[in-house]
Amino acid sequence: MEAVLETDQLGKRYGRQWALRDCTLRLPAGRIAALVGPNGAGKSTLLHLAVGLSRPDAGVVRVLGEPPHHNPAVLAQVGFVAQDTPLYRDFTATELITMGGRLNRRWDATLARTRLADLGIPPGKPVGKLSGGQRAQVALALALAKRPRLLLLDEPVASLDPLARREFLQTLMGSVADTGTSVLLSSHLLADVERVCDHLIVLHAAQVRLGGAVDDLVTAHRRLVGPRHDGAPIPGVAEIVRGSHTDRQSTLLVRTDGPVTDPLWTEHDVALEDVILAYLVDGETQTNHAAWGVPA
Amino acid sequence: MIWLTWRQHRREALFALAGLAVIGTLMVVTGLAMRTAFNDYGLPECVARAGDAGAGSNCNRAFNQFYDQFSAVSLAGILFLVLPLLVGLFWGAPLVAREVEQGTHRFVWTQGVSRRRWALVKFGLVGAAALVASVGYGLGVSWWVSPLNQGWRQNRFDAFFFDMQGVAPVGYTLFAVALGIFAGTVWPRMLPAMAATLVGFVGVRVALATLARPRYLPARELTYPVQGTGEPDPTGGDWILSSGVHDASGRMVAPNAQVICPPGASGPDGRACGAELGLGPGAYNWQLYQPGSRYWLFQTIETGIFVALAVLLLVLAIRRIRRIA
Repeated sequence: MEAVLETDQLGKRYGRQWALRDCTLRLPAGRIAALVGPNGAGKSTLLHLAVGLSRPDAGVVRVLGEPPHHNPAVLAQVGFVAQDTPLYRDFTATELITMGGRLNRRWDATLARTRLADLGIPPGKPVGKLSGGQRAQVALALALAKRPRLLLLDEPVASLDPLARREFLQTLMGSVADTGTSVLLSSHLLADVERVCDHLIVLHAAQVRLGGAVDDLVTAHRRLVGPRHDGAPIPGVAEIVRGSHTDRQSTLLVRTDGPVTDPLWTEHDVALEDVILAYLVDGETQTNHAAWGVPA
Repeated sequence: MIWLTWRQHRREALFALAGLAVIGTLMVVTGLAMRTAFNDYGLPECVARAGDAGAGSNCNRAFNQFYDQFSAVSLAGILFLVLPLLVGLFWGAPLVAREVEQGTHRFVWTQGVSRRRWALVKFGLVGAAALVASVGYGLGVSWWVSPLNQGWRQNRFDAFFFDMQGVAPVGYTLFAVALGIFAGTVWPRMLPAMAATLVGFVGVRVALATLARPRYLPARELTYPVQGTGEPDPTGGDWILSSGVHDASGRMVAPNAQVICPPGASGPDGRACGAELGLGPGAYNWQLYQPGSRYWLFQTIETGIFVALAVLLLVLAIRRIRRIA
């Protein structure tokens, strides 16, 4: 299947700090993918590389088959909503739609107008005076008016209240369902994306921890409960993602590569959230007691 | 892009237009008053007869009256020195800095227009507006101050007067705008960009005006006797860089002084002219100067330097914009 976004050993560095490192992933067309990770995991960096705002320091990124940096041909086919949905705050929604028409060769102003009318957003009010939810909707409408093949959304719902969040994601799903647009949206909140996404990429500490179709990920992971585990390999288990142990018993979250037939272990299904958390908790926090002048 | 540029900057443009209209009106009113007074005092005749022995004290008095009346007005001319800087601060510095500070660069640079084109159109239009405005006020000020510059007290070559009229303000304005834009790409925040523009503009202007301008062309030397004729015409508009009285051996005996006695005259106690200053026979006046006829040449050189700096800064700014994410 065609990939809308492909990276290979992709890296980006700010000063000496790697914001993204050894990132290799492939996003097939037609997916609605979530990019999940805590703040500072490198989500924005990856999206900026994908939309061509920044240039990789290592590796390659290809969007719709082409490198996106300084490539207007890619820009024309990619819709992007940056974090905090930046818009010219003194422009009205109507003016922003006019602006989009002037800056894009392919531009569906009717689509944007219809969407905003459906959502009851005032056309003549400066967007700086709209609510956060309404502004996010304007930004989304502008991105959709490009009729993009790939839509990249950076934390589109982070600043919204739960109701606006839900509404935003619903309208997003409604509009991409019939156009076949691929979507990659980042979030640090699992609950937001769980409902709407069928593909998942987990980023943590500048690296990709997990990636794939949601269904595959859920079926590939199991919770095993059994006697205290001493580290010996268990048939059918490819990797122990996370384990917690009491004196007699171990609970393991594992990635399987076959049926677990060992009768010592009882098998349980896991929810997507548990899988993601298992990969995130695994990340280490670097302590800096010396810098704070407190004992470790 | 043109629509967007106009939409984003129309408020600044209208504000600037209104400001220029107010200043223009004041200039026309005071300029006409100055011209009327200039004629009423009979100064055009004095200018025509400059250097003529007969012009003498009447003209002196008339010029003094004229300057007493209008020297306060000429102070307002200082305002024109600040205008290029204001354009740089309020048009140039925010151009990139505000976009990045508010994050809207991620919005506008991900539409279907390349960053390069965005930069070229924006810099081009803002630069063109600055060019038109500065040509307007440069020539306007030239007209306005010309009566003041026709006398000897306020030479158009003097600091301030040179800087606020002719084509030099065009160079300063373009430079200020380019400096503001460039500063915005280096420190993409409004206040640091404006501060850098302020410091950079004042620094470069002062450095060039004091160190470079007197040396654009080799200065000329003039010597003339302390007693007799041959003194330079004060209304000729020469820019005197340095002057003094030398003794017969060529040694400077009285820096920054000038001694002129009418032919055949002697000092109050019957001694020779200049004897009370310790001048012996053979002493002469000396001055190092740039002739007034070089005024437009110097204006062109000064403007050329600043336009070249502006172009350089814009090229650097476009290169830096590629790296902003």
